[in-house]
Amino acid sequence: MTTLTLTNLAKRYSRSVWGVRSMSLDVKDKEFVVFLGPSGCGKTTCMRMIAGLETVTRGRIILKGQDITDLPPKDRGVSMVFQNYAIWPHMNVYDNIAFALRLKNVDRKELNQRVKKVAQMVRIEPLLKRFPGQMSGGQQQRVALARALAVEPRLFLMDEPLSNLDAKLRVSMRTELKTIHQESGATSIFVTHDQSEAMSMADRIVIMKDGEIVQTGTPEEVYFQSANTFVAGFIGTPPANFFPVEWKNGKLEHPRFQLSPPPALHQAIENHGKNRLILGVRPESIQVVREEEALFIAPVLVVEPQGSHQIVAVQVEDEVVKLIMPPACGVQPGELLPLTFDSTRLHLFDEESQLRIPGY
Amino acid sequence: MNASKTPGLIRERQERMAPYLLIAPAVIYYAIFWLFPVLNAISGSFLSAPLKQGGEWTLKNYAAVFTDSMFYRALINTAIIVVVSVSLEFVLAFALALLINKKFRGSSLFLFLAIIPMSLPAVAVGAMWNSGLATNGWLNSALVHLGILGEAEKIPFLAGGQGANILLIILVDAWQVIPFMMIILLSGMQGLKPEMAEAGRVFGGTRWQVLHKITIPMLKQTIVTAMILRIIAAIQIWLIIVMIFGFNRLPVLMEQIVVNVDLYTAETFFRKGMALSVLVALIVSLASVAYLKASGALGAKKEEAS
Ligand SMILES: Nc1ncnc2c1ncn2[C@@H]1O[C@H](COP(=O)(O)OP(=O)(O)OP(=O)(O)O)[C@@H](O)[C@H]1O
Ligand SMILES: [Mg+2]
Repeated sequence: MTTLTLTNLAKRYSRSVWGVRSMSLDVKDKEFVVFLGPSGCGKTTCMRMIAGLETVTRGRIILKGQDITDLPPKDRGVSMVFQNYAIWPHMNVYDNIAFALRLKNVDRKELNQRVKKVAQMVRIEPLLKRFPGQMSGGQQQRVALARALAVEPRLFLMDEPLSNLDAKLRVSMRTELKTIHQESGATSIFVTHDQSEAMSMADRIVIMKDGEIVQTGTPEEVYFQSANTFVAGFIGTPPANFFPVEWKNGKLEHPRFQLSPPPALHQAIENHGKNRLILGVRPESIQVVREEEALFIAPVLVVEPQGSHQIVAVQVEDEVVKLIMPPACGVQPGELLPLTFDSTRLHLFDEESQLRIPGY
Repeated sequence: MNASKTPGLIRERQERMAPYLLIAPAVIYYAIFWLFPVLNAISGSFLSAPLKQGGEWTLKNYAAVFTDSMFYRALINTAIIVVVSVSLEFVLAFALALLINKKFRGSSLFLFLAIIPMSLPAVAVGAMWNSGLATNGWLNSALVHLGILGEAEKIPFLAGGQGANILLIILVDAWQVIPFMMIILLSGMQGLKPEMAEAGRVFGGTRWQVLHKITIPMLKQTIVTAMILRIIAAIQIWLIIVMIFGFNRLPVLMEQIVVNVDLYTAETFFRKGMALSVLVALIVSLASVAYLKASGALGAKKEEAS
């Protein structure tokens, strides 16, 4: 069942500044959708339009079958966690959480129960009497979450709620947020520009660029079936490597190598009918092999240990190509590595449109 | 151990002394230019003449004030002006500040225009409205010119009763002072993160409820500051009144001090004026403290700590 539908939603701030150019999207019931994109791509703008804080230039917003495009924020049944939390400093935690319930005249006993319940969910029960000024960033963030959960919203919006936290807390809050989402079952939209955050939390990722949706899909889909070079180059740590190639005599030709694609890909390229292509290869799909099996040999530039694995940068023509190797494999800068690609995991894009070639 | 502890203690003591050293020049300045004149005025108000000229300690100066019917009229007029003008100015200034804070097209031009009255000295304002409000003044002329009034219908603004006169003063004062108040409030509003109010709207508040439960409480410090400054200034209004009505027509406290000290030359009036100024100083302090108490600003620290 669909909870939220956006149709051709657009926001123009001034003559030449578009916050969002056009967004169409369906969010299903209880789904956890993540908006992902670089800074300035319109994530916050879209969020604010859904919440009613920004007027809509064009398009409609439908929530649970009701057109809410022109409703004031209070009548939308949407709640929001702001990037800077925006919890009110003159109220203690209890009053912050109870604010919306009091305005709705929820009776005192139920109000108390609901505040306690969400406080328990985000584990801030001992802090209910505190004022925001006396709490850490992580605690404030929980208060903002609790306040948003207390109203039992039809839709739950979170605008980069983790971006102000330190790295460790951030990762543990991810897990917690997922748990809270599973407990509360609230349909959620979560904004981030951190792709690993998006990958680890989303049921579905909406990748945005310049005010438009580039791709919508599960984390696996956007990772393994990236719709264009932008997505492939944005998702992944590190993201995909690109090689300009030419389709000649049934082979992909690069100045440094020639590659015969597997049959399905071969067919797809033939069907596509263009010769100038871009080959995308994810770091873990580049393998170190014995010299006689190598597609090409490349010198190591840098080795970046990550603990569980290491990222090795090698030079191919003028490009830096990154691959992933097991820890402590003893690779040194300057060493020559014989490399090949996992041919089942190749991405091919049209050079002109930068779009993925369909059909493989 | 001991050796490493001692310098720390000394530094701690130095740190504790630092604020006192830093404010010392200000304290000395105040002692010379403020405390001394104040003590002088207070003692002077209890003397019949300077001590050197054989003055005696007396309460007569105060008795003269309290038996003067002008004093009571001045007290009442001042009270009315303070209460009405400060409330009126606050409400209008707050509304204007909210409006300008919306950053509509041309809001900075509007802000600039609004500030003009504030930059005028009281003498200029008084002169301007004195000539404007006269029966043959420019305001009536303009109204006639625009066809709003007939030649025979000119309004004798300055010939009204006490109530009308006070109202006139309040309006002129408001015209000059609202921008001042508005700028203080506006700067407070611009210090608030817009998300605070937005969160209020998302969580079910109407614009009124957000204003009442979020914006105003968060602006409390600013509002208290603006109000205190205005209350003190409103108690001291006199120049505009004298410019428009002359002395003794609409008596207020400060004007009566001037009347007694400057207008009349006899020593008794001078002494009475001194007593009156001590009383006015007392009233100003009491009013400030009363307002701070009422607004809860004095207890604010305790509240936050609990
Ligand atoms: N109030 C505004 N007035 C004018 N332009 C705006 C306004 N808010 C945002 N923009 C513009 O709209 C575009 C989208 O901004 P938005 O804040 O939605 O980006 P974002 O994706 O949330 O970025 P970030 O990841 O940095 O938060 C940007 O180009 C921005 O400059
Ligand atoms: Mg943003």
